[in-house]
Amino acid sequence: MSRRGIALAVTGLLVLTACGGGHAASGDGKQLTVVMWGGDDQKKAVAAYVEPWAKANGVTVKQDSPTDYAKFRAQVESKKVSWGVVEVEPNFAVTACENGWAVKLDPAKVDMSKVKKELVSECAAPLLEYAFTIAYNTKAYSAENHPKTWAEFFDTAKFPGKRGFWKYATGAMFEAALLADGVPADQLYPLDIDRAFKKLDTIKKDIVFYETGEQQQQLVSSGEVPLIQAWNGRIFAAAEDGQPVANEWNQHLLSYDQVVIPAGYRDTALAQEWLNNFLADAKGQADYANQSAYAPVTPEALQYVQPDVRRELPTEHEDQRAAIVDYTYWAEHYDEVTERLNEWMAQ
Amino acid sequence: MRPARVALWALAALTALYLVLPVFVVVPMSFSDSAFLEFPPQEWSLRWYENFFTDLTWLDSTIASLQIAVQVTLLSLVLGTAAALGMVRGRYPLRALVSGLVMAPVLVPYVIVGLAVYAVFLQLGLTETALGFVLVHTALAVPYVVITVSSALMSFDRRLEHAAMGLGAGPVTTFATVTLPLIAPSLAGGAVFAFVTSFDEVVTSVFLSGPDLTTLPVQMWSGVRVQIDPTVAAVSSMLLLVTLSLFAGAGVARLVRRRKA
Amino acid sequence: MTGEAVTGRRLPDGWGFLVLPLVAFLLVVFVHPLISVLARSLSDPEPGLGNYAAFFDSPVYLDVLVNTFVVAGLVTLVTLVLGFPYAYLMTLATPFWRGVLMAAVLVPFWTSLLVRTFAWVLILRDTGVVNEVIGALGGQPVPLLRNLAGVLIGMVQVMLPFAVLPIYATMRGVDRRLLQAAEGLGARPAFAFWRVYAPLTLPGVAAATLLVFVSSLGFYVTPALLGGPQNVMIGELIVQQLSGVLRWGFASALAVILLVVTGVLLLLAARVVDLRRMIGGGR
Repeated sequence: MSRRGIALAVTGLLVLTACGGGHAASGDGKQLTVVMWGGDDQKKAVAAYVEPWAKANGVTVKQDSPTDYAKFRAQVESKKVSWGVVEVEPNFAVTACENGWAVKLDPAKVDMSKVKKELVSECAAPLLEYAFTIAYNTKAYSAENHPKTWAEFFDTAKFPGKRGFWKYATGAMFEAALLADGVPADQLYPLDIDRAFKKLDTIKKDIVFYETGEQQQQLVSSGEVPLIQAWNGRIFAAAEDGQPVANEWNQHLLSYDQVVIPAGYRDTALAQEWLNNFLADAKGQADYANQSAYAPVTPEALQYVQPDVRRELPTEHEDQRAAIVDYTYWAEHYDEVTERLNEWMAQ
Repeated sequence: MRPARVALWALAALTALYLVLPVFVVVPMSFSDSAFLEFPPQEWSLRWYENFFTDLTWLDSTIASLQIAVQVTLLSLVLGTAAALGMVRGRYPLRALVSGLVMAPVLVPYVIVGLAVYAVFLQLGLTETALGFVLVHTALAVPYVVITVSSALMSFDRRLEHAAMGLGAGPVTTFATVTLPLIAPSLAGGAVFAFVTSFDEVVTSVFLSGPDLTTLPVQMWSGVRVQIDPTVAAVSSMLLLVTLSLFAGAGVARLVRRRKA
Repeated sequence: MTGEAVTGRRLPDGWGFLVLPLVAFLLVVFVHPLISVLARSLSDPEPGLGNYAAFFDSPVYLDVLVNTFVVAGLVTLVTLVLGFPYAYLMTLATPFWRGVLMAAVLVPFWTSLLVRTFAWVLILRDTGVVNEVIGALGGQPVPLLRNLAGVLIGMVQVMLPFAVLPIYATMRGVDRRLLQAAEGLGARPAFAFWRVYAPLTLPGVAAATLLVFVSSLGFYVTPALLGGPQNVMIGELIVQQLSGVLRWGFASALAVILLVVTGVLLLLAARVVDLRRMIGGGR
């Protein structure tokens, strides 16, 4: 009996091996693996500024998604890196750089002179810009009468209704709370987390936390949460779709995503080559901006963005910007503030 | 009907309604023209179905998932049924440890399993291979088979087997003609659990997926941070249609057979 | 069956060897990779018990752990209360209605967890289908989302098939003539049902309980999307620590603690019910 059991198992395994044998061999040519958050956005981004470059240079593009930091770190630690260029949040870029998980970019190979220097770090170049805005439901609040500052956003007496925040420490809720509490924008960092929590306490029972972009848009457009700290591009897309939502740009917090190259990737030179090309590719960036309402990182690209989209980009509202999210601060304090946020939420 | 029977039917009807309620949202949503998950849809279209059949990544990942899930089901049934027979009827050392081991895959959070397996599979070149998925999913699915089959074996009247053997049947014949048919409902239950465990598994699959092989759930979850692709509603609706057709087909076949008999 | 002493040291007999392939499989595919990751709880970021100390440093982790077991317990209870009568009815129904009931159980399986969870959001939210019906009937909106109710509604729906199928499979094996015999001997129907029929379905109920309870412990997508900040389960916390904060040592420690506590609970339960019978050790 036992022998039959083992024989069965072995046969099973053999059959499986045979079935699993179709692993495509990688071609001899140049090849770059691009990793982003996935979905429709990634499809558009790759078509706008990866594929044209790849075609011109005879490179095969491979894609993976979504970005997962555990997977990133595991690849680097195992010294089996298949990811080439990876879209990440800037605080992870800093952490990855400090730990040697990401390649230090060579200024001779990647020309960063054209992009805002606040968005560049040792291992990372910016990919896109977006803003944390005050988004509101236009059925609940009119274009004239809605919170225009974070102080008003926190004023539930004057503007009743639930408030939405992203449930992560880096989701800019602390920055918003401190601005609401009167901290001058240029003195925001290092954040006074105690003070921020005190301010958040005042509206705690009205806060609804969202996890994904889908929830964000559903909450505000259904009117369930008429006021939400949102990503400008999501709100724009929902408005275009005919949903009753709008962005208030005043006091928005500018954020951005970056690209890093995992340490140990087999063709770092090629990855940097693409990156360099991307930063100079004004038309490719504009093409993506037109479809996504994320702002290009190279100012030159703006001239190619359609006027109606351009109005909806953070680059057009820089005078209303409160601050750029300081991800160097967040790289250092993400653990501890996350822990405090966990505690605060559970109370 | 007795009042108890009426109450029973009422409760079951409510439970059934509760089980299928999300379907009444998912199916209409799949016919929406909006790029957002929207219910009820404002405008109707077939664009998400079109997207499924024109975008190769959706088709490829669906086929990959089906293939993997079938293999997982077969392997889990073989390993799980054998183990259940051994555990219920056999004698072996370290029983508590073995029981714990068999339950462990359900207990250890999938994300930990995913990371652990990923690190090892990277070295072995098993990531992005069907074999890699099958091995991991089988480990996750097999406890469900063991538990369902064990419960059937426990309430199994072994005198039936003894009778068959007494009449001269060998152990294999007895197993195939007496034991197997009697535990068949549990095997079927275990098979469904195993299939679904694999087919809907996303957490470990996110680690194992890559450009060369991505499964359907990973494809579905890939953009979720920003926006859900309504194609997921179309996929679910089609899967539902296929399953219900199979069900109806089986029902009709049974009716026809009975008529003939 | 139960009277026989279990002596762990004896060598496996013919049947016992059948356990071997699975044990070998799990040791290679599951346990071996896991060791190095779980060992990180003692070594990352530095050697020692720091990660375990961190668990007790903040009350939130213990709260989350307790909440996880409470939710899993409630889910199990509700699932059994709904699943047992449902399975019983399936044994009584005509083949047609049995097919319909069975189809209803299997339907959730084919709608991916992701779609299903978002469908629940649309159904349960304040402006959702359920509350619109309640509103139309003149009632106040009932909060069904971002609270325990939402978590239970979502999770029980996922787990119900895992209860119905094993219970139904066991019930099919029970000879219903026993009930008629008991009633024929003068037992009241309720007495006959609970004292004669129900005990025979126990293996199925036990299997369902174990499956549902243990599977519920690891949920995180459903509670994350349908629950509120107070309904965090440990699965979500582990994902946060592993993929977000990248404190792998602490994530591993959380997993180890979950494993140990569950193990202890199952052992305690085994003193009350003969648990080994549930997972096939009952000789």
